[in-house]
Amino acid sequence: METCFVVCIHQVTQAQHFTDEILTSAVSEPPVLELRDVEKSFGSLHALNRVSFSLRGGEAIALLGPNGAGKTTLIRCICGLTRLDRGTMYVLGNPIEGDGMRRTLGLVPQEIALYGDLSTKENLYAFARFNGLSRRAARERVRWALKWTGLEQRASDLVGYFSGGMKRRVNLACGVMHSPQVLLLDEPTVGVDPQSRERIFEMLAELRKEGTTILLTTHQLDEAEKQSDRILILDHGRIIADGSKSQLVEQSVGASRLVRIRVDRPLTGPLRLRNHLSETPVGRVGTDIVTTRIDDVSQHLSELLHSVRQNGYDVSDVEVHAPSLQHVFLHLTGNELRDD
Amino acid sequence: MIWTVWQVNLRRLLHNPMELLLTFIVPITFFSIFAIIFGGGVGIGSTPKIKVIAVDQWESDLSKALVDDLVENPGLRFMRSPSESKYTTDEAKELVRRGSVGMALLVQKDGDRVAVELLTDSSDQVAAQVVTAIVTQAIVEAEIKQHQPIRFAATEIPAGAAGPQPVSSARDESVRVVDVIGEGKSNPVVSMYAAGIAVMFLLFGATGGGGALLEERENQTLERLLSTQLSMDQLLLGKWFYMTAIGTLQMLIMFAWAQLVFGVDLIGHLDGFLIMTLVTALAASAFGLLLATACRTRGQLSGISVVLVLTMSALGGSMVPRYVMSESLQQYGLCTFNAWALDGFDKVFWRELPVEALAPQLAVLLISGIVMLLAARLLAIRWEMD
Repeated sequence: METCFVVCIHQVTQAQHFTDEILTSAVSEPPVLELRDVEKSFGSLHALNRVSFSLRGGEAIALLGPNGAGKTTLIRCICGLTRLDRGTMYVLGNPIEGDGMRRTLGLVPQEIALYGDLSTKENLYAFARFNGLSRRAARERVRWALKWTGLEQRASDLVGYFSGGMKRRVNLACGVMHSPQVLLLDEPTVGVDPQSRERIFEMLAELRKEGTTILLTTHQLDEAEKQSDRILILDHGRIIADGSKSQLVEQSVGASRLVRIRVDRPLTGPLRLRNHLSETPVGRVGTDIVTTRIDDVSQHLSELLHSVRQNGYDVSDVEVHAPSLQHVFLHLTGNELRDD
Repeated sequence: MIWTVWQVNLRRLLHNPMELLLTFIVPITFFSIFAIIFGGGVGIGSTPKIKVIAVDQWESDLSKALVDDLVENPGLRFMRSPSESKYTTDEAKELVRRGSVGMALLVQKDGDRVAVELLTDSSDQVAAQVVTAIVTQAIVEAEIKQHQPIRFAATEIPAGAAGPQPVSSARDESVRVVDVIGEGKSNPVVSMYAAGIAVMFLLFGATGGGGALLEERENQTLERLLSTQLSMDQLLLGKWFYMTAIGTLQMLIMFAWAQLVFGVDLIGHLDGFLIMTLVTALAASAFGLLLATACRTRGQLSGISVVLVLTMSALGGSMVPRYVMSESLQQYGLCTFNAWALDGFDKVFWRELPVEALAPQLAVLLISGIVMLLAARLLAIRWEMD
């Protein structure tokens, strides 16, 4: 299964910049959102089982999990749409049930939860008003949202006739009309083309620059990796992993790299490498590909190439694959189908 | 918040030409069709006549006098034989059986007196009762004319004196149908159908409005709305007020049309009309919300609402007047929303009673509306939180 990412050059992502800033500036402040031992059952099904985590101001967290893992239930609990059985939730250090505490939250549901027979402007204005903005503030915010979504030219058009990507942008904008401190996004890019996804991520990056904390559920692992500082993996209602991608890799599949070497001619026999590279011979007779794993690229890659040459073959190409989030995800949640 | 819900729903309506058409034009069209069919045509202001034929089997002076009297009666319309010959009894039976006439009168000898046998179609009970009354009166008058003219002559009263009128002068008016309610008014059927169709479409409109709530639930807009500062109370109240306003406007347009085209006096009964319309629309809107909150899907709502609204309309008098129904059906009809609303409109437009006389209808509609709204609120709890 070729799902790994080629990481010949390690990219420093924008998300990591944000992480550094957050760690240095906000570590002493109370979490913007904190969940402690949250539990929710539907009959005999434990949808959430002692879920605990916290979000710092400006942080972006991706919440991953197979179908039926409890992601949507968790979002609904935070929004107050589902009653908790046990546990507590805090916003800015205060119980979330406190007066006006949930006003700091913004929800962007997975469905296009808009009025298709209203125009962009009318949808934005309606949700601004429903979120408690005065008429004047709502009108100003609508102007901002039209610019932010790039839909100024389509302000008076009915949303029902928009493309999927445009609807998603309006859907997102309606969730932030009241400038929430925490934005909860339930799969915000489902069914949109790559261009629209990029535009949505640019919009989210703008929000993060303004200090909005983001909790994003997604099945797009590359999206989770690029757009978040931290990744939570939820399965069977439990948080089974919490950390940056590199931390999750280290804790689960390990940091070894997969190396694929193409040689100048088909192998006439398995290659014998130095013991610390591989204790058993590698390569299949008749093919020109040799695959093995190394723990440290900087030290072992040159030794590996040298060892191949010592076996009498010239190296024509090399690929080094880092463990992907998909590896981590499947390692932690298993390969069985989750039919919910 | 409630005002914003109101605005959102109104804007959605204005963006939907088809929904506008269904809300305001289709009810008027239906009403016009019913009014033309049952009201006898545009602007007709008289009670419909019953189509009859007479077969004089006795052919005496008395029977001829009776038939002549009946032919003159304004409540009956006598059909002539195309061949100008007299109808036979069998032909008369066949005409009634085929529905070509409403009734056949067989004038017969009964000793030295005249008797009339009415061949009727039992599906038209009203016509049978009316014709029986007319014929009974005509027989009495014909017999008096034939057998006791001398007595009247002997008791002739001088012109201008007070007292009973001689038969000869009273005879012209003896079978005149005197309508104590409808004198000078448009056809009662028109105002009845204006109210009946309007209330029926009000109910359909209200269930459609309730469907919008289910649509919001199905596409998660409801969930999103409830995650804002909007509460379920505000949402339901906003929808209730909006649906009431649209229902009131719908009825106002319907009756304005009825006044313009069919002569129903809306302006003259504006106070009673407005209060009845407002309360009826409030109750209908609550009914729509109750149905919506009781259903799981729009498909379910659509099926249930069609059956319920049509049943209520049939029993409650929106389709046929309740006075043609049996006593027991009339009593069952009082369980429906339509019956109370139509009784109220009947008091306003036909009986011309003061607004105070509407108290029973207004009370029943208002109380049932509030009860239905509270029930809808209770049912909506399940949508607020798992």
